[in-house]
Amino acid sequence: MDFFSKAARKSPWLYRINAGSCNGCDVELATTACIPRYDVERLGCQYCGSPKHADIVLITGPLTARVKDKVLRVYDEIPDPKVTVAVGICPISGGVFRESYAIEGPIDRYLPVDVNVPGCPPRPQAIIEGIAKAIEIWAKRA
Amino acid sequence: MAFLKILFDNLRKGPATEAFPFGEAATPDAYRGKVTFDETNCVGCNMCEHVCAGGAIRFSEQEDGLHFLIWHNTCISCGLCAHYCPTKAIKLSNDWHLSHLQEEKYEQVDHAVVPYRHCTSCGERLQPGGPMLHQLAFKGTNPRSQRLMNMCPDCRRKASYSGEAL
Repeated sequence: MDFFSKAARKSPWLYRINAGSCNGCDVELATTACIPRYDVERLGCQYCGSPKHADIVLITGPLTARVKDKVLRVYDEIPDPKVTVAVGICPISGGVFRESYAIEGPIDRYLPVDVNVPGCPPRPQAIIEGIAKAIEIWAKRA
Repeated sequence: MAFLKILFDNLRKGPATEAFPFGEAATPDAYRGKVTFDETNCVGCNMCEHVCAGGAIRFSEQEDGLHFLIWHNTCISCGLCAHYCPTKAIKLSNDWHLSHLQEEKYEQVDHAVVPYRHCTSCGERLQPGGPMLHQLAFKGTNPRSQRLMNMCPDCRRKASYSGEAL
């Protein structure tokens, strides 16, 4: 068991939640992982498909009123400890949708965010920089 | 045997992966990143605040001057502010190192004070203006335009008419 917890500390798994994003940030997240030029897996992490396997959560989108409950439900399924990264300005401040009737964000009203990566969308290198910060937090927390 | 060519090409080109975060990342000069503001050239037209899509820019008039505020966490780097700025006081740098911890969320702010000018003749408060506005308004600099530039419209008219500014 000790071996697994030591290994887990070095290789957190990433999980993406789209909280009503325009898909711009999601495309950049896909780019960060899928294109050899950026290759986020060098940092020891990889994307996973199930929230139950996740260690680091990447949230995009301004948390629209329509997806709010679903996002919170999925977020609760992620086991603790977890590190939350807000990708793009939408989850951080609402961005261009700030003060709209259709959004419930910024996301830190509902979820404890650890790292913010602003940009519209942030470039893949900026996302990698944010994930590197999240991995540092994860190493302390795991 | 086509794979030999691919193998050779790959060996010649080296890895395609960028060194970042273990090394520096290449950034194009024209990359639209963090907004920079130069208070010496701002003329206080508030156009950047008006066109800002994310509402990141705020101006407020105060005693000591015009206070400029930008919150980078709601800036979408569209570049409209730089495009519409008549004196190019506001620009977009190619700095993209903006990621930060949650504790620093509300510290991602740049603040600048654009001082008002005062009429050299009657002392009335004038909108801010800098060397760039001078350049644009008078198509070059000379001592006469320098004098006229720092006067209120009324004094400027009188000075021009009486010829004392010559």
